[in-house]
Amino acid sequence: MDNSSTAAVHQFKESESLMKILLAEDDHNVAVIMQLCLEKIGGHQVVLAVDGAIAVEKASTDTFDLILLDGMMPKKNGLVVAKELRASGLTTPVIFLTAKSDEPAYQELGAGYIAKPFEPTQICAQIDTIMQQLKAQN
Amino acid sequence: MLNLRTLLHLITFCAILGMAWCGYMTFVSGRDYLETQTALEKSIDLRVLAASLEEAPYDERLLKRLQTERANMDRVERQTRFSDIIQSYTARDPKILKNRIQIFVHGEVEFRKKSAPQIERLRDTFIVFGGLAALIPLIGLFIVLLTVNAQVFKGIDRLSRRMMDFLSDRYSFQFSQPDENELGNLQRTFNSLAQQVINTMDELKHLDQAKSEFLSIASHELRTPMTSIKGSLSLLGNGIMGKIDDAPLQLIKIAEVETDRLIRLINDLLDLAKIEARRLPLANDWRIWEETLMTTTSGLVGFAHNAEVQIAFDPAPMVEVFMDRDRIQQVLTNLISNAIKFSPKGSTVRIVTGRSKSGHLLVNVQDQGPGISPDDQDLIFQKFRQGSNPENPVVKGTGLGLAIAKALVEEHGGDIGVESELGHGSTFWFTLPKWRNEQSEAA
Repeated sequence: MDNSSTAAVHQFKESESLMKILLAEDDHNVAVIMQLCLEKIGGHQVVLAVDGAIAVEKASTDTFDLILLDGMMPKKNGLVVAKELRASGLTTPVIFLTAKSDEPAYQELGAGYIAKPFEPTQICAQIDTIMQQLKAQN
Repeated sequence: MLNLRTLLHLITFCAILGMAWCGYMTFVSGRDYLETQTALEKSIDLRVLAASLEEAPYDERLLKRLQTERANMDRVERQTRFSDIIQSYTARDPKILKNRIQIFVHGEVEFRKKSAPQIERLRDTFIVFGGLAALIPLIGLFIVLLTVNAQVFKGIDRLSRRMMDFLSDRYSFQFSQPDENELGNLQRTFNSLAQQVINTMDELKHLDQAKSEFLSIASHELRTPMTSIKGSLSLLGNGIMGKIDDAPLQLIKIAEVETDRLIRLINDLLDLAKIEARRLPLANDWRIWEETLMTTTSGLVGFAHNAEVQIAFDPAPMVEVFMDRDRIQQVLTNLISNAIKFSPKGSTVRIVTGRSKSGHLLVNVQDQGPGISPDDQDLIFQKFRQGSNPENPVVKGTGLGLAIAKALVEEHGGDIGVESELGHGSTFWFTLPKWRNEQSEAA
Protein backbone atom coordinates (compact mmCIF):
# COMPACT_ATOMS: atom_id res chain seq x y z
CA MET A 1 0.00 0.00 0.00
CA ASP A 2 1.57 3.30 -1.01
CA ASN A 3 1.42 6.48 1.04
CA SER A 4 -1.43 8.11 -0.78
CA SER A 5 -3.71 5.12 -0.37
CA THR A 6 -2.75 4.88 3.29
CA ALA A 7 -3.77 8.50 3.64
CA ALA A 8 -7.06 7.69 1.94
CA VAL A 9 -7.63 4.78 4.30
CA HIS A 10 -7.18 7.08 7.27
CA GLN A 11 -9.38 9.67 5.67
CA PHE A 12 -12.27 7.21 5.20
CA LYS A 13 -11.71 5.06 8.23
CA GLU A 14 -14.81 5.46 10.30
CA SER A 15 -14.66 2.48 12.61
CA GLU A 16 -12.21 2.44 15.49
CA SER A 17 -12.97 -1.14 16.55
CA LEU A 18 -11.31 -3.54 14.15
CA MET A 19 -13.27 -6.70 13.58
CA LYS A 20 -12.78 -10.15 12.15
CA ILE A 21 -15.56 -10.46 9.60
CA LEU A 22 -16.87 -13.52 7.75
CA LEU A 23 -18.04 -12.35 4.32
CA ALA A 24 -20.31 -14.84 2.51
CA GLU A 25 -20.77 -13.63 -1.06
CA ASP A 26 -20.94 -15.80 -4.17
CA ASP A 27 -20.40 -13.00 -6.70
CA HIS A 28 -16.61 -12.75 -7.06
CA ASN A 29 -16.62 -9.09 -8.11
CA VAL A 30 -18.85 -7.95 -5.29
CA ALA A 31 -16.75 -10.00 -2.86
CA VAL A 32 -13.54 -8.31 -4.05
CA ILE A 33 -15.07 -4.85 -3.68
CA MET A 34 -16.50 -5.62 -0.25
CA GLN A 35 -13.19 -7.05 0.90
CA LEU A 36 -11.34 -3.97 -0.34
CA CYS A 37 -13.81 -1.66 1.40
CA LEU A 38 -13.73 -3.54 4.68
CA GLU A 39 -9.96 -3.97 4.73
CA LYS A 40 -8.83 -0.66 3.26
CA ILE A 41 -11.47 1.66 4.70
CA GLY A 42 -12.46 -0.12 7.88
CA GLY A 43 -9.15 -1.85 8.51
CA HIS A 44 -11.06 -5.03 9.35
CA GLN A 45 -9.89 -8.59 8.78
CA VAL A 46 -12.04 -10.40 6.22
CA VAL A 47 -12.54 -14.15 5.71
CA LEU A 48 -14.35 -15.01 2.48
CA ALA A 49 -16.90 -17.77 1.90
CA VAL A 50 -18.13 -18.34 -1.67
CA ASP A 51 -21.37 -20.13 -0.84
CA GLY A 52 -23.80 -20.77 2.00
CA ALA A 53 -22.47 -24.19 2.97
CA ILE A 54 -18.88 -22.93 3.28
CA ALA A 55 -20.18 -19.97 5.30
CA VAL A 56 -21.85 -22.32 7.81
CA GLU A 57 -18.70 -24.43 8.03
CA LYS A 58 -16.39 -21.44 8.58
CA ALA A 59 -18.73 -19.79 11.06
CA SER A 60 -18.90 -23.03 13.06
CA THR A 61 -15.14 -23.63 13.13
CA ASP A 62 -13.83 -20.10 13.64
CA THR A 63 -14.78 -17.10 15.77
CA PHE A 64 -15.95 -13.88 14.13
CA ASP A 65 -17.09 -10.49 15.34
CA LEU A 66 -19.55 -10.11 12.47
CA ILE A 67 -21.02 -12.22 9.68
CA LEU A 68 -21.99 -10.50 6.42
CA LEU A 69 -24.33 -12.70 4.37
CA ASP A 70 -25.38 -12.29 0.78
CA GLY A 71 -29.14 -12.93 0.44
CA MET A 72 -28.96 -15.21 -2.60
CA MET A 73 -26.16 -17.77 -2.68
CA PRO A 74 -25.73 -21.27 -4.11
CA LYS A 75 -26.29 -24.33 -1.89
CA LYS A 76 -27.73 -22.33 1.03
CA ASN A 77 -29.14 -18.84 0.79
CA GLY A 78 -28.41 -16.20 3.37
CA LEU A 79 -31.61 -16.78 5.36
CA VAL A 80 -30.95 -20.52 5.62
CA VAL A 81 -27.38 -19.92 6.74
CA ALA A 82 -28.50 -17.42 9.38
CA LYS A 83 -31.22 -19.75 10.67
CA GLU A 84 -28.78 -22.68 10.91
CA LEU A 85 -26.23 -20.58 12.77
CA ARG A 86 -28.86 -19.28 15.20
CA ALA A 87 -30.19 -22.83 15.67
CA SER A 88 -26.68 -23.99 16.58
CA GLY A 89 -26.57 -21.35 19.31
CA LEU A 90 -24.21 -18.91 17.58
CA THR A 91 -24.97 -15.32 18.61
CA THR A 92 -22.49 -13.49 16.34
CA PRO A 93 -24.17 -10.40 14.81
CA VAL A 94 -25.42 -10.98 11.25
CA ILE A 95 -25.91 -8.35 8.55
CA PHE A 96 -27.46 -9.28 5.22
CA LEU A 97 -26.28 -7.79 1.95
CA THR A 98 -29.35 -7.93 -0.19
CA ALA A 99 -30.52 -6.93 -3.63
CA LYS A 100 -34.09 -7.66 -2.58
CA SER A 101 -36.15 -6.22 0.17
CA ASP A 102 -36.96 -9.00 2.60
CA GLU A 103 -36.64 -6.79 5.67
CA PRO A 104 -39.32 -8.53 7.78
CA ALA A 105 -37.57 -11.91 7.50
CA TYR A 106 -34.23 -10.37 8.52
CA GLN A 107 -35.77 -8.50 11.41
CA GLU A 108 -37.30 -11.73 12.72
CA LEU A 109 -33.80 -13.20 12.92
CA GLY A 110 -32.53 -10.15 14.80
CA ALA A 111 -30.26 -9.29 11.88
CA GLY A 112 -29.54 -6.06 10.05
CA TYR A 113 -29.37 -5.52 6.34
CA ILE A 114 -27.61 -3.34 3.80
CA ALA A 115 -29.27 -2.92 0.42
CA LYS A 116 -27.28 -3.38 -2.77
CA PRO A 117 -25.97 -1.43 -4.55
CA PHE A 118 -24.34 0.17 -1.51
CA GLU A 119 -22.05 3.17 -1.30
CA PRO A 120 -18.58 1.61 -0.72
CA THR A 121 -17.10 4.61 1.05
CA GLN A 122 -19.91 4.49 3.59
CA ILE A 123 -20.21 0.75 4.06
CA CYS A 124 -18.09 0.64 7.21
CA ALA A 125 -20.06 3.50 8.76
CA GLN A 126 -23.27 1.69 7.86
CA ILE A 127 -22.00 -1.50 9.46
CA ASP A 128 -21.06 0.39 12.66
CA THR A 129 -24.51 1.97 12.84
CA ILE A 130 -26.27 -1.36 12.37
CA MET A 131 -23.99 -3.04 14.94
CA GLN A 132 -24.93 -0.39 17.48
CA GLN A 133 -28.62 -0.88 16.70
CA LEU A 134 -28.27 -4.67 17.07
CA LYS A 135 -26.45 -4.23 20.37
CA ALA A 136 -29.16 -1.87 21.58
CA GLN A 137 -31.83 -4.44 20.63
CA ASN A 138 -30.06 -7.11 22.67
CA MET B 1 -87.43 -37.76 -10.95
CA LEU B 2 -89.77 -35.96 -13.33
CA ASN B 3 -88.50 -32.71 -14.66
CA LEU B 4 -90.43 -29.62 -13.65
CA ARG B 5 -91.95 -28.90 -17.04
CA THR B 6 -93.37 -32.46 -17.34
CA LEU B 7 -94.66 -32.31 -13.79
CA LEU B 8 -96.50 -29.04 -14.41
CA HIS B 9 -97.87 -30.35 -17.74
CA LEU B 10 -99.14 -33.50 -16.03
CA ILE B 11 -100.85 -31.54 -13.26
CA THR B 12 -102.49 -29.23 -15.82
CA PHE B 13 -103.59 -32.17 -18.01
CA CYS B 14 -105.14 -34.03 -15.06
CA ALA B 15 -106.93 -30.87 -13.92
CA ILE B 16 -108.37 -30.23 -17.41
CA LEU B 17 -109.45 -33.90 -17.78
CA GLY B 18 -111.11 -33.88 -14.35
CA MET B 19 -112.82 -30.57 -15.08
CA ALA B 20 -114.10 -31.83 -18.45
CA TRP B 21 -115.55 -35.03 -16.94
CA CYS B 22 -117.15 -33.23 -13.98
CA GLY B 23 -118.50 -30.59 -16.33
CA TYR B 24 -120.03 -33.25 -18.55
CA MET B 25 -121.59 -35.06 -15.60
CA THR B 26 -122.96 -31.77 -14.25
CA PHE B 27 -124.45 -30.98 -17.62
CA VAL B 28 -126.07 -34.43 -18.07
CA SER B 29 -127.49 -34.59 -14.54
CA GLY B 30 -128.75 -31.03 -14.81
CA ARG B 31 -130.44 -31.71 -18.12
CA ASP B 32 -132.06 -34.95 -16.83
CA TYR B 33 -133.15 -33.16 -13.65
CA LEU B 34 -134.84 -30.41 -15.64
CA GLU B 35 -136.50 -32.88 -18.01
CA THR B 36 -137.81 -35.01 -15.16
CA GLN B 37 -139.03 -31.96 -13.28
CA THR B 38 -140.86 -30.74 -16.40
CA ALA B 39 -142.38 -34.20 -16.92
CA LEU B 40 -143.70 -34.21 -13.34
CA GLU B 41 -145.28 -30.80 -13.74
CA LYS B 42 -146.76 -31.96 -17.07
CA SER B 43 -148.14 -35.06 -15.34
CA ILE B 44 -150.18 -32.90 -12.95
CA ASP B 45 -151.51 -30.86 -15.89
CA LEU B 46 -152.43 -34.07 -17.75
CA ARG B 47 -154.29 -35.41 -14.75
CA VAL B 48 -156.35 -32.22 -14.58
CA LEU B 49 -156.91 -32.40 -18.36
CA ALA B 50 -157.94 -36.06 -18.18
CA ALA B 51 -160.36 -35.38 -15.31
CA SER B 52 -162.00 -32.55 -17.27
CA LEU B 53 -162.78 -34.92 -20.21
CA GLU B 54 -165.57 -36.67 -18.23
CA GLU B 55 -167.76 -33.61 -18.44
CA ALA B 56 -166.39 -32.11 -21.68
CA PRO B 57 -168.38 -32.27 -24.94
CA TYR B 58 -166.65 -33.77 -27.95
CA ASP B 59 -164.38 -31.26 -29.64
CA GLU B 60 -161.98 -31.80 -32.56
CA ARG B 61 -159.53 -29.20 -31.29
CA LEU B 62 -159.42 -30.87 -27.88
CA LEU B 63 -158.81 -34.20 -29.58
CA LYS B 64 -155.84 -32.76 -31.46
CA ARG B 65 -154.39 -31.38 -28.23
CA LEU B 66 -154.79 -34.80 -26.58
CA GLN B 67 -152.91 -36.39 -29.49
CA THR B 68 -150.09 -33.84 -29.24
CA GLU B 69 -149.77 -34.49 -25.48
CA ARG B 70 -149.59 -38.22 -26.10
CA ALA B 71 -146.78 -37.78 -28.63
CA ASN B 72 -144.73 -35.82 -26.05
CA MET B 73 -144.99 -38.58 -23.41
CA ASP B 74 -141.70 -40.39 -22.62
CA ARG B 75 -142.95 -43.76 -21.51
CA VAL B 76 -144.76 -46.36 -23.52
CA GLU B 77 -147.16 -47.47 -20.70
CA ARG B 78 -148.19 -43.85 -20.12
CA GLN B 79 -148.73 -43.37 -23.86
CA THR B 80 -150.83 -46.58 -23.91
CA ARG B 81 -153.01 -45.46 -21.02
CA PHE B 82 -153.47 -42.01 -22.60
CA SER B 83 -154.29 -43.63 -25.97
CA ASP B 84 -157.08 -45.59 -24.21
CA ILE B 85 -158.52 -42.29 -22.93
CA ILE B 86 -158.35 -40.72 -26.44
CA GLN B 87 -160.03 -43.80 -27.91
CA SER B 88 -162.88 -43.71 -25.32
CA TYR B 89 -163.23 -39.95 -25.85
CA THR B 90 -163.50 -40.46 -29.60
CA ALA B 91 -166.03 -43.32 -29.10
CA ARG B 92 -168.04 -41.06 -26.75
CA ASP B 93 -168.57 -43.80 -24.21
CA PRO B 94 -168.73 -41.98 -20.85
CA LYS B 95 -168.64 -45.12 -18.76
CA ILE B 96 -165.51 -46.58 -20.29
CA LEU B 97 -163.96 -43.09 -20.43
CA LYS B 98 -164.49 -42.61 -16.73
CA ASN B 99 -162.95 -45.98 -16.03
CA ARG B 100 -159.94 -45.27 -18.22
CA ILE B 101 -159.44 -41.78 -16.71
CA GLN B 102 -159.28 -43.42 -13.29
CA ILE B 103 -156.66 -45.92 -14.57
CA PHE B 104 -154.63 -43.07 -16.13
CA VAL B 105 -154.80 -40.88 -13.02
CA HIS B 106 -153.72 -43.82 -10.90
CA GLY B 107 -150.85 -44.52 -13.31
CA GLU B 108 -149.70 -40.89 -13.19
CA VAL B 109 -149.69 -40.96 -9.37
CA GLU B 110 -147.50 -44.07 -9.56
CA PHE B 111 -145.27 -42.35 -12.15
CA ARG B 112 -144.73 -39.35 -9.89
CA LYS B 113 -144.03 -41.60 -6.89
CA LYS B 114 -141.35 -43.45 -8.88
CA SER B 115 -139.87 -40.23 -10.24
CA ALA B 116 -139.42 -38.57 -6.81
CA PRO B 117 -136.23 -40.53 -5.76
CA GLN B 118 -134.83 -40.25 -9.26
CA ILE B 119 -135.12 -36.46 -9.22
CA GLU B 120 -133.47 -36.40 -5.78
CA ARG B 121 -130.57 -38.48 -7.16
CA LEU B 122 -130.21 -36.26 -10.21
CA ARG B 123 -130.14 -33.14 -8.04
CA ASP B 124 -127.46 -34.68 -5.78
CA THR B 125 -125.39 -35.73 -8.80
CA PHE B 126 -125.69 -32.21 -10.23
CA ILE B 127 -124.53 -30.60 -6.99
CA VAL B 128 -121.64 -33.03 -6.45
CA PHE B 129 -120.22 -32.83 -9.98
CA GLY B 130 -120.87 -29.09 -10.23
CA GLY B 131 -118.97 -28.63 -6.99
CA LEU B 132 -116.15 -30.86 -8.21
CA ALA B 133 -115.93 -28.96 -11.51
CA ALA B 134 -115.48 -25.76 -9.51
CA LEU B 135 -113.04 -27.32 -7.01
CA ILE B 136 -110.72 -29.05 -9.49
CA PRO B 137 -109.17 -25.82 -10.90
CA LEU B 138 -108.70 -24.53 -7.36
CA ILE B 139 -107.07 -27.78 -6.25
CA GLY B 140 -104.97 -27.84 -9.45
CA LEU B 141 -103.84 -24.28 -8.85
CA PHE B 142 -102.98 -25.13 -5.25
CA ILE B 143 -100.91 -28.14 -6.32
CA VAL B 144 -99.15 -26.05 -8.99
CA LEU B 145 -98.34 -23.38 -6.40
CA LEU B 146 -96.99 -25.98 -3.96
CA THR B 147 -94.92 -27.58 -6.71
CA VAL B 148 -93.57 -24.25 -7.96
CA ASN B 149 -92.75 -23.23 -4.41
CA ALA B 150 -91.05 -26.49 -3.49
CA GLN B 151 -89.28 -27.13 -6.74
CA VAL B 152 -88.71 -23.71 -8.30
CA PHE B 153 -88.53 -21.01 -5.63
CA LYS B 154 -86.73 -23.13 -3.05
CA GLY B 155 -84.43 -24.41 -5.81
CA ILE B 156 -83.68 -20.86 -6.92
CA ASP B 157 -83.03 -19.84 -3.30
CA ARG B 158 -80.67 -22.78 -2.90
CA LEU B 159 -78.84 -21.90 -6.10
CA SER B 160 -78.69 -18.25 -5.13
CA ARG B 161 -77.12 -19.23 -1.79
CA ARG B 162 -74.56 -21.39 -3.60
CA MET B 163 -73.68 -18.44 -5.83
CA MET B 164 -73.22 -16.19 -2.78
CA ASP B 165 -71.03 -18.89 -1.17
CA PHE B 166 -68.94 -18.92 -4.32
CA LEU B 167 -68.65 -15.15 -4.33
CA SER B 168 -67.60 -14.95 -0.70
CA ASP B 169 -65.12 -17.83 -0.66
CA ARG B 170 -64.17 -19.14 -4.08
CA TYR B 171 -61.43 -21.49 -3.05
CA SER B 172 -63.35 -23.49 -0.47
CA PHE B 173 -66.47 -23.67 -2.64
CA GLN B 174 -68.10 -27.12 -2.48
CA PHE B 175 -69.77 -28.27 -5.67
CA SER B 176 -73.08 -30.04 -4.94
CA GLN B 177 -74.85 -32.72 -7.00
CA PRO B 178 -77.52 -30.99 -9.10
CA ASP B 179 -81.10 -32.37 -9.34
CA GLU B 180 -82.31 -33.90 -12.62
CA ASN B 181 -84.55 -31.02 -13.63
CA GLU B 182 -84.38 -27.57 -15.23
CA LEU B 183 -82.97 -25.96 -12.06
CA GLY B 184 -80.45 -28.77 -11.90
CA ASN B 185 -79.42 -27.83 -15.45
CA LEU B 186 -79.05 -24.23 -14.33
CA GLN B 187 -76.91 -25.31 -11.41
CA ARG B 188 -74.86 -27.53 -13.74
CA THR B 189 -74.21 -24.49 -15.95
CA PHE B 190 -73.32 -22.40 -12.90
CA ASN B 191 -70.97 -25.15 -11.65
CA SER B 192 -69.20 -25.13 -15.04
CA LEU B 193 -68.84 -21.36 -14.87
CA ALA B 194 -67.58 -21.52 -11.29
CA GLN B 195 -65.08 -24.21 -12.27
CA GLN B 196 -63.86 -22.02 -15.13
CA VAL B 197 -63.49 -19.06 -12.79
CA ILE B 198 -61.51 -21.18 -10.32
CA ASN B 199 -59.30 -22.52 -13.12
CA THR B 200 -58.70 -19.01 -14.46
CA MET B 201 -57.89 -17.77 -10.97
CA ASP B 202 -55.42 -20.63 -10.50
CA GLU B 203 -53.79 -19.69 -13.80
CA LEU B 204 -53.64 -16.04 -12.72
CA LYS B 205 -52.16 -17.12 -9.41
CA HIS B 206 -49.43 -19.04 -11.23
CA LEU B 207 -48.82 -16.05 -13.53
CA ASP B 208 -48.66 -13.81 -10.49
CA GLN B 209 -46.13 -16.14 -8.86
CA ALA B 210 -44.13 -16.18 -12.09
CA LYS B 211 -44.16 -12.37 -12.19
CA SER B 212 -43.15 -12.27 -8.55
CA GLU B 213 -40.25 -14.65 -9.19
CA PHE B 214 -39.23 -12.61 -12.20
CA LEU B 215 -39.18 -9.45 -10.11
CA SER B 216 -37.10 -11.15 -7.45
CA ILE B 217 -34.59 -12.53 -9.96
CA ALA B 218 -34.48 -9.32 -12.02
CA SER B 219 -33.95 -7.36 -8.85
CA HIS B 220 -31.00 -9.52 -7.84
CA GLU B 221 -29.46 -9.91 -11.27
CA LEU B 222 -29.59 -6.18 -12.04
CA ARG B 223 -28.41 -4.94 -8.69
CA THR B 224 -25.50 -7.34 -8.23
CA PRO B 225 -23.43 -6.07 -11.23
CA MET B 226 -24.41 -2.50 -10.34
CA THR B 227 -22.89 -3.11 -6.90
CA SER B 228 -19.58 -4.11 -8.48
CA ILE B 229 -19.55 -1.20 -10.94
CA LYS B 230 -20.53 1.40 -8.38
CA GLY B 231 -18.11 -0.07 -5.82
CA SER B 232 -15.19 -0.10 -8.24
CA LEU B 233 -15.83 3.45 -9.44
CA SER B 234 -16.29 4.73 -5.92
CA LEU B 235 -13.07 3.11 -4.65
CA LEU B 236 -11.17 4.51 -7.63
CA GLY B 237 -12.85 7.94 -7.59
CA ASN B 238 -12.24 8.44 -3.88
CA GLY B 239 -8.56 7.62 -4.23
CA ILE B 240 -8.71 4.60 -1.97
CA MET B 241 -6.80 2.50 -4.51
CA GLY B 242 -4.23 5.25 -5.10
CA LYS B 243 -4.09 8.79 -6.44
CA ILE B 244 -5.54 9.33 -9.92
CA ASP B 245 -4.85 12.20 -12.32
CA ASP B 246 -7.53 14.80 -12.93
CA ALA B 247 -8.46 13.78 -16.48
CA PRO B 248 -9.14 10.07 -15.76
CA LEU B 249 -10.71 11.11 -12.43
CA GLN B 250 -13.20 13.27 -14.32
CA LEU B 251 -14.14 10.28 -16.48
CA ILE B 252 -14.54 8.12 -13.40
CA LYS B 253 -16.82 10.76 -11.84
CA ILE B 254 -18.95 10.84 -15.02
CA ALA B 255 -19.20 7.05 -14.90
CA GLU B 256 -20.18 7.28 -11.22
CA VAL B 257 -22.93 9.84 -11.87
CA GLU B 258 -24.35 7.79 -14.72
CA THR B 259 -24.14 4.61 -12.65
CA ASP B 260 -26.14 6.33 -9.92
CA ARG B 261 -28.69 7.35 -12.55
CA LEU B 262 -28.91 3.77 -13.82
CA ILE B 263 -29.34 2.49 -10.24
CA ARG B 264 -32.16 5.00 -9.66
CA LEU B 265 -33.82 3.86 -12.88
CA ILE B 266 -33.55 0.19 -11.88
CA ASN B 267 -34.89 0.94 -8.39
CA ASP B 268 -37.77 2.99 -9.81
CA LEU B 269 -38.64 0.33 -12.39
CA LEU B 270 -38.61 -2.42 -9.79
CA ASP B 271 -40.65 -0.30 -7.38
CA LEU B 272 -43.23 0.44 -10.04
CA ALA B 273 -43.37 -3.22 -11.12
CA LYS B 274 -43.86 -4.23 -7.47
CA ILE B 275 -46.64 -1.68 -6.95
CA GLU B 276 -48.37 -2.76 -10.15
CA ALA B 277 -48.01 -6.43 -9.19
CA ARG B 278 -49.32 -5.56 -5.71
CA ARG B 279 -46.07 -6.91 -4.28
CA LEU B 280 -45.42 -3.85 -2.20
CA PRO B 281 -47.48 -4.36 0.94
CA LEU B 282 -47.88 -1.12 2.89
CA ALA B 283 -46.58 -1.15 6.45
CA ASN B 284 -49.31 1.25 7.63
CA ASP B 285 -49.27 2.74 11.11
CA TRP B 286 -50.23 6.01 12.82
CA ARG B 287 -47.33 8.40 12.25
CA ILE B 288 -46.82 11.99 13.36
CA TRP B 289 -47.04 14.09 10.21
CA GLU B 290 -44.62 16.81 11.27
CA GLU B 291 -41.89 14.27 11.99
CA THR B 292 -42.34 12.67 8.59
CA LEU B 293 -42.14 16.06 6.89
CA MET B 294 -39.03 17.11 8.84
CA THR B 295 -37.20 13.82 8.20
CA THR B 296 -37.94 14.05 4.49
CA THR B 297 -36.88 17.66 4.06
CA SER B 298 -33.75 17.27 6.17
CA GLY B 299 -32.62 14.65 3.63
CA LEU B 300 -33.09 17.19 0.85
CA VAL B 301 -31.33 20.15 2.43
CA GLY B 302 -28.04 19.41 0.65
CA PHE B 303 -29.79 19.02 -2.68
CA ALA B 304 -31.65 22.31 -2.19
CA HIS B 305 -28.45 24.05 -1.11
CA ASN B 306 -26.63 22.93 -4.27
CA ALA B 307 -29.54 24.20 -6.35
CA GLU B 308 -29.59 27.48 -4.35
CA VAL B 309 -33.25 26.97 -3.52
CA GLN B 310 -34.88 27.47 -0.08
CA ILE B 311 -37.34 25.02 1.47
CA ALA B 312 -40.05 26.65 3.61
CA PHE B 313 -42.97 25.27 5.64
CA ASP B 314 -46.20 26.62 6.78
CA PRO B 315 -46.56 25.23 10.30
CA ALA B 316 -47.63 21.60 9.91
CA PRO B 317 -50.87 20.68 11.74
CA MET B 318 -50.45 18.49 14.81
CA VAL B 319 -51.90 15.38 13.26
CA GLU B 320 -51.14 11.71 12.91
CA VAL B 321 -51.60 9.95 9.59
CA PHE B 322 -52.28 6.25 9.00
CA MET B 323 -49.65 5.46 6.38
CA ASP B 324 -46.51 3.61 5.36
CA ARG B 325 -44.04 6.28 6.43
CA ASP B 326 -41.20 5.17 4.15
CA ARG B 327 -43.49 5.16 1.12
CA ILE B 328 -45.02 8.56 1.86
CA GLN B 329 -41.53 9.89 2.43
CA GLN B 330 -40.72 8.55 -1.04
CA VAL B 331 -43.69 10.51 -2.44
CA LEU B 332 -42.69 13.69 -0.57
CA THR B 333 -39.04 13.33 -1.60
CA ASN B 334 -40.11 12.96 -5.19
CA LEU B 335 -42.38 16.00 -5.22
CA ILE B 336 -39.99 18.24 -3.26
CA SER B 337 -36.90 17.23 -5.26
CA ASN B 338 -38.87 17.82 -8.49
CA ALA B 339 -39.87 21.25 -7.21
CA ILE B 340 -36.23 22.05 -6.36
CA LYS B 341 -35.07 20.75 -9.73
CA PHE B 342 -37.43 23.06 -11.64
CA SER B 343 -37.05 26.13 -9.39
CA PRO B 344 -34.97 29.11 -10.42
CA LYS B 345 -31.98 29.97 -8.22
CA GLY B 346 -32.88 32.04 -5.19
CA SER B 347 -36.51 30.95 -5.18
CA THR B 348 -38.40 29.06 -2.47
CA VAL B 349 -40.20 25.72 -2.43
CA ARG B 350 -43.10 25.89 0.03
CA ILE B 351 -44.79 22.94 1.70
CA VAL B 352 -48.29 23.51 3.04
CA THR B 353 -50.37 20.89 4.85
CA GLY B 354 -54.11 21.43 5.22
CA ARG B 355 -57.46 19.81 4.82
CA SER B 356 -59.16 19.02 1.49
CA LYS B 357 -62.83 19.66 0.73
CA SER B 358 -63.56 15.97 1.29
CA GLY B 359 -61.91 16.13 4.73
CA HIS B 360 -58.68 14.33 3.74
CA LEU B 361 -55.22 15.54 4.71
CA LEU B 362 -54.03 17.74 1.82
CA VAL B 363 -50.31 18.27 1.16
CA ASN B 364 -49.22 21.01 -1.27
CA VAL B 365 -45.69 21.41 -2.65
CA GLN B 366 -45.44 24.82 -4.32
CA ASP B 367 -42.60 26.00 -6.53
CA GLN B 368 -41.84 29.15 -8.47
CA GLY B 369 -40.66 27.27 -11.55
CA PRO B 370 -41.68 27.70 -15.19
CA GLY B 371 -45.06 25.98 -14.69
CA ILE B 372 -46.56 23.14 -16.71
CA SER B 373 -48.78 23.55 -19.75
CA PRO B 374 -52.31 22.14 -19.38
CA ASP B 375 -51.53 19.50 -22.04
CA ASP B 376 -48.56 18.23 -20.04
CA GLN B 377 -50.33 18.19 -16.68
CA ASP B 378 -51.88 14.76 -17.21
CA LEU B 379 -48.93 13.31 -19.11
CA ILE B 380 -46.37 13.86 -16.37
CA PHE B 381 -48.02 11.24 -14.13
CA GLN B 382 -47.55 8.61 -16.84
CA LYS B 383 -44.51 6.37 -17.02
CA PHE B 384 -41.43 7.80 -18.78
CA ARG B 385 -43.13 11.16 -19.46
CA GLN B 386 -41.25 14.19 -18.26
CA GLY B 387 -41.64 17.92 -18.36
CA SER B 388 -38.99 19.41 -20.64
CA ASN B 389 -35.93 21.57 -19.88
CA PRO B 390 -35.63 21.85 -16.14
CA GLU B 391 -33.81 25.10 -15.40
CA ASN B 392 -31.81 23.47 -12.66
CA PRO B 393 -30.80 20.02 -13.92
CA VAL B 394 -28.84 19.01 -10.86
CA VAL B 395 -30.07 15.43 -11.18
CA LYS B 396 -31.58 13.97 -14.30
CA GLY B 397 -34.84 12.14 -13.66
CA THR B 398 -35.95 8.71 -14.76
CA GLY B 399 -39.44 9.76 -15.81
CA LEU B 400 -40.88 7.31 -13.29
CA GLY B 401 -40.94 9.37 -10.10
CA LEU B 402 -44.41 10.85 -10.50
CA ALA B 403 -45.86 7.57 -11.78
CA ILE B 404 -44.53 5.88 -8.61
CA ALA B 405 -45.79 8.73 -6.42
CA LYS B 406 -49.24 8.42 -8.01
CA ALA B 407 -49.31 4.64 -7.50
CA LEU B 408 -48.18 4.96 -3.86
CA VAL B 409 -50.70 7.70 -3.02
CA GLU B 410 -53.49 5.70 -4.64
CA GLU B 411 -52.40 2.60 -2.67
CA HIS B 412 -53.07 4.74 0.43
CA GLY B 413 -56.54 5.59 -0.89
CA GLY B 414 -55.58 9.18 -1.73
CA ASP B 415 -55.42 11.35 -4.85
CA ILE B 416 -52.58 13.22 -6.47
CA GLY B 417 -52.52 16.08 -8.96
CA VAL B 418 -51.03 19.35 -10.05
CA GLU B 419 -52.25 22.91 -10.49
CA SER B 420 -50.05 25.03 -12.67
CA GLU B 421 -49.93 27.92 -15.07
CA LEU B 422 -47.08 28.58 -17.47
CA GLY B 423 -44.78 31.19 -16.02
CA HIS B 424 -46.46 31.13 -12.61
CA GLY B 425 -45.03 28.05 -10.92
CA SER B 426 -46.68 24.75 -10.02
CA THR B 427 -48.40 23.27 -6.99
CA PHE B 428 -48.26 19.50 -6.75
CA TRP B 429 -50.72 18.14 -4.21
CA PHE B 430 -51.76 14.80 -2.76
CA THR B 431 -54.30 13.67 -0.20
CA LEU B 432 -54.26 10.98 2.49
CA PRO B 433 -57.66 9.88 3.76
CA LYS B 434 -56.88 8.50 7.23
CA TRP B 435 -55.67 11.06 9.73
CA ARG B 436 -56.51 12.22 13.24
CA ASN B 437 -55.46 14.88 15.66
CA GLU B 438 -52.41 13.84 17.63
CA GLN B 439 -53.30 11.39 20.44
CA SER B 440 -57.02 11.80 19.94
CA GLU B 441 -59.83 9.96 18.25
CA ALA B 442 -59.83 9.48 14.46
CA ALA B 443 -60.88 12.52 12.44
